[in-house]
Amino acid sequence: MPELRPPRHRVDPRARRWWTVQALLVLSGPALLTALALAVCSLLFFPGALPWLGPLLLVVLVLPALGYLWFMPRWRYAVHAWELGERAVYAASGWFWRTRRIAPLSRVQTVDTVRGPVQRAFGLATVTVTTASTAGDIRIAGLSDADAEELSRRIGEAAQLVAGDAA
Amino acid sequence: MTAAPPDTAQATAPATEWRSLDPRTVAVHLSWLAAPLGSLGLTALATHGRLDTRAWITLGCIAAGFAVITTGGLLRWWRTRYRITADAFELRTGLFTRRLRAIPLHRVRNVDLTAHPVQRLLGLTVLRAGTTADGATGGSALTLEALTRPDAERLRAELLARAGSADTTGEPVLSTVDRRWLRYAPLTFWIFGGVFAVLGTVWRVLGDIGVEPWRIGVVRDAFREFGHSALWLTVPLALLGIAAVGSLGAVVLYAENWWKYRLERTDADTLRVRRGLLTTRSVSFERSRLRGAVLREPLLLRLGGGATVRAVAGGLGSREENCKRSQVLPPAPRAEALRVAAAVATPGPGDGAPALFDRPALRPHPPAARRRRTVRGMVWAVLPGTAALTVLGALLTPVLLYCALGYALLAVPLVLVLARDAHRSLGHGVTGRHLLIRSGTFSRDTVALAREAVLAWSFTDSPLTRRAGLTTVTAAVAAGQDGYRAPDMAAGDAVPFAAAAAPGILDEFLAGDPDGAADPLSPPGRRP
Repeated sequence: MPELRPPRHRVDPRARRWWTVQALLVLSGPALLTALALAVCSLLFFPGALPWLGPLLLVVLVLPALGYLWFMPRWRYAVHAWELGERAVYAASGWFWRTRRIAPLSRVQTVDTVRGPVQRAFGLATVTVTTASTAGDIRIAGLSDADAEELSRRIGEAAQLVAGDAA
Repeated sequence: MTAAPPDTAQATAPATEWRSLDPRTVAVHLSWLAAPLGSLGLTALATHGRLDTRAWITLGCIAAGFAVITTGGLLRWWRTRYRITADAFELRTGLFTRRLRAIPLHRVRNVDLTAHPVQRLLGLTVLRAGTTADGATGGSALTLEALTRPDAERLRAELLARAGSADTTGEPVLSTVDRRWLRYAPLTFWIFGGVFAVLGTVWRVLGDIGVEPWRIGVVRDAFREFGHSALWLTVPLALLGIAAVGSLGAVVLYAENWWKYRLERTDADTLRVRRGLLTTRSVSFERSRLRGAVLREPLLLRLGGGATVRAVAGGLGSREENCKRSQVLPPAPRAEALRVAAAVATPGPGDGAPALFDRPALRPHPPAARRRRTVRGMVWAVLPGTAALTVLGALLTPVLLYCALGYALLAVPLVLVLARDAHRSLGHGVTGRHLLIRSGTFSRDTVALAREAVLAWSFTDSPLTRRAGLTTVTAAVAAGQDGYRAPDMAAGDAVPFAAAAAPGILDEFLAGDPDGAADPLSPPGRRP
């Protein structure tokens, strides 16, 4: 029974730190701050509420935030991978929900390299390979700058070599 | 941007002078005034002509808005010119920044004519030309608003004729509306929801013009009477009444949408849908942009033995527009839907496979998929309701505890039945030139996609689905919804299905594939 093997190349190890910062900025940071603010408020104004509010905050906000901060980047790093074959691009992404996507080079329309502000600080880049369908776009996040450059160049070349209609 | 084309093909293009839109277009903007002025008039009536400051401010705003919109419309009419040259359709717009857009004629894929009631009153039609480029982004269609009907018809004929289509001669009509199909109308419209939506709108409009429905004696009396009446009789009666009104609304809506519906082949390469009572629509699908068809069977309609059909076509604009314009068959008997869906999926003369959708041999998905659906129903439908009622019951009154029990007893079998049905719907397969995917219970959709149209495959799973041995496969096409999912198929079926449906894409990445060994297996490297 044929099975897909994982793509050959992992993303840059620095991506873990980038995802950690992202988690802090987007989800964990705000959640922890909210928990802290609520705890301080209750300490100042309603000290009686602490015995039940404390555990509640711990379970609802603090533990999920810390868990996300700890697991998501590692998990993501284990999943994210990419490979450029002779006729197709192959990438795995996601963390809990893992998506493996394969698009033939003959269908590639454009190759974009995007660097967000946080990504730039770590010297990382995201390569997006677009096809005529939004469900066929391949994003490879967390590549090192050099890899991203090289990859987008090679995909561009390969896509030109493989004759085909991009529609 | 584009120079005047060489004179080679001028003989076939007599109309290369710039043409302008119809001046009546400006008059259409007047219709915009009707709603606010009407509501203001009602306010004046309700307050016996004494308009307060708020009303005057509203009136001022309406006047200003009207001036701006009319001026804008005038300017647009004045500065818009179009023409057809030997090889392109050109449109010039813009007041200060003149913009010239040229669409090569060979890229014009479909030309639609639509007219809303006011435009029809004035004899106008909006023409929209879609190109290949707007499959995903939806931004690059050319719209001419508005032309006289004969002009629009002529322009459409010119555009499509030059776009490389053959001569437009009366070709086989695939389907026309039948009055008996109206019986399916109440099965589609969300009858209760529709009535409540309309009531809500009326309520808001009344509120906006300063009428409080509670103050109207008739309404108040009616509600009080209702409260005192025998509820076991009046509540079902009220529901029946709402259903009747909703059904009536659904029938009216059906008629408005599908009046004079007609699906025909205008030539070997083009399908055309014409429909509409007040707003008339006419959508053309070019064969090369048709990627397949969807047979949709929403739950109620399915119980009534009906179905609808959508085309999976590219170049129809944004996703919402695609949704609106891709309908090729109204709710109709299932046999008719099967026939039309097969004809749309296999375009070209001579209906290819009439049995494409008729009891297709689909590979079922494993029982784990049914367990997933059952669990999902329990977690999202049974659990929250029961838990909420139980908690409230414990806090407030034991009556609610019985309600919780009743809810659970009612919801559990329902979830089980629906999950079973959802699982039975699941299936996938490859037949001839198409791949077939079926899923859904509230709307059971059977999708047939041309195999060569698939331009990427996605395989999605999570630790939970991996343990259950399930994978969701998504086929990406540059048409319709872009991605068509075959949810929760056996993990072992996923790759063979994708490989059989669109051979060659996956080959390099299969484990233990002898061809893939050309590239020596190296430990996961960091360099490309």
